[in-house]
Amino acid sequence: MRAIIIDDERLARAELRKLLQDFPEVEVIDEAANAEEGITKIEAQNPDLIFLDIQMPGRTGFDMLSSLEKSPNVIFTTAYDEYALKAFEVNALDYLLKPVEPKRLADAIQKLHFIETKEPLGNGENINKSLLTENDQVFVKDGERCWFVKLSDIRLFESVGNYAKVFFGNNKPLILKSLNALEERLDEKMFFRANRKHIVNLRMIEKIEPYFNGGLLLELKGGEKIEVSRRQTVKFKEMMSL
Amino acid sequence: MVGIMMLFFAHAYKVPMSNGVLLGRIAVVFAAGIGVTHVLRLFIKSQGWIMQSVEKVIPKLAIAMIITSLSFSLLVLGLNYLFNLVVDSSKKLSFVARLSASTVDNGLVILPWILIYYFYHFIEKSRRQQFDTLQLESLIKELELKTIKAHINPHFIFNSLNSIRALIDENPSRARTAITELSNILRSSMQVDKAETVSFEKELNIVKDYLALENMRFEDRLKVEYEIDEDTLDQQVPPMMLQTLVENAIKHGISKHIRGGTIKIISDFKNHYHEMAVQNTGNLNGGLNTEGFGLSSTQNRLGLLYGDRASFEIKQLAPSIVEARVLIPVQMN
Repeated sequence: MRAIIIDDERLARAELRKLLQDFPEVEVIDEAANAEEGITKIEAQNPDLIFLDIQMPGRTGFDMLSSLEKSPNVIFTTAYDEYALKAFEVNALDYLLKPVEPKRLADAIQKLHFIETKEPLGNGENINKSLLTENDQVFVKDGERCWFVKLSDIRLFESVGNYAKVFFGNNKPLILKSLNALEERLDEKMFFRANRKHIVNLRMIEKIEPYFNGGLLLELKGGEKIEVSRRQTVKFKEMMSL
Repeated sequence: MVGIMMLFFAHAYKVPMSNGVLLGRIAVVFAAGIGVTHVLRLFIKSQGWIMQSVEKVIPKLAIAMIITSLSFSLLVLGLNYLFNLVVDSSKKLSFVARLSASTVDNGLVILPWILIYYFYHFIEKSRRQQFDTLQLESLIKELELKTIKAHINPHFIFNSLNSIRALIDENPSRARTAITELSNILRSSMQVDKAETVSFEKELNIVKDYLALENMRFEDRLKVEYEIDEDTLDQQVPPMMLQTLVENAIKHGISKHIRGGTIKIISDFKNHYHEMAVQNTGNLNGGLNTEGFGLSSTQNRLGLLYGDRASFEIKQLAPSIVEARVLIPVQMN
């Protein structure tokens, strides 16, 4: 696993690097001292894993994650942040408290191995690199709560002004991304632009009904009813008939 | 009470009266007395007279008393007449004479009754007030203690420990000093509630240890300057107050900025005041109320210790310098 350590304190990075020497499977390829640097390095080197400090100057670790197109695996490192970490109760995502206990680090890496072998993150296999695959995960933060969501778990994107509402499970947080920008990055075999305001996950469609004016009405697994515009209906039928 | 008195008088003057009539009259007086004073009590309660000042209440009470005794007498006379309990001797007198005599009589009994009632409530009220004050005081103490406990940020402690662990290999002797510095800070934060004030020298040493540790963490992102008038070292200051301001300055001036900044500690005499100031790189931009805990506790502590003779302010000193400044009265030794 190729990893990047992101922490504003040099000594904290050095300490973690040292601890990671005992884990030959984790290769620390780079370090970053703040969110901006982190984003540049993640986008350039596409690591499998990042160790991320939450409290950093400028933007926090959370802010950094929400501005990434897709998130690598993340292990949070923090000195004392039970408050911020509560946000992750739902996700059961991993975090380490500094000073890091070697045993906890071993557990966290072990857990990642397990996930990697079960469902590897979609890196490289894609010819078009800018396109997100169903195994990619995105980091979503809405106020106090945060989620790592696999694209395959998302039913629907709904446009709300400059934001997009993301529907998954029982949650529908907002992300600061326009529907058009999202559409460009999503795999059209998986996500379909039903109308001006909605992008639906084709695998999450439960029912298709004819709608007036030659359109269609899709019912999603979460019970949402989405109208397909006339123009898109043609495209939809074409795709489905193949 | 009136009944008992009547019993006493009847006995003393040997008024010729049959036992039945006497008991009847006593019963009437009892019933009327309880009824009338009860109405008075309800009235006093509903008007909130208990809460009013003595000067305002006395004339009101006097009028209330006259009305009460008048109605008391009317009631007694009426009832006596109704139940045919009128004594022969009083039949000779006119109604007005009987009424006024009875009113004065009853007034004399009702007056102490009202006074007792009123004083009972007065004492009760002041006792409750005292109790409330005590409760408030203990609440303040408790809050103060919480403030003090919050002085050392756990984030700081664990980050320092983490840095020290990294230094053990990299720079063992620096790691050793760092442990001493951290111990000093922890010790003084535990002792802080024992003393009201400490010498400024002691406080400054803690701040120096603290900044040395933060320097270990932030490295070249943190620059520290001192501008200390040595004569101020003997002044007494509230413990951990300068420390709180410095911690605040680090939090807002250094740790949030990628390139860090400078912190400057100033201690000087200004007229009859000892001035302690902490300057940091940064901007206030109105975000003052959200971070308030350290700052409002500083304000509160100064108020508790010095009343209005001390002051605290935080302001934008120059375009990118924020200054927090405490003025406390100089103590002459």
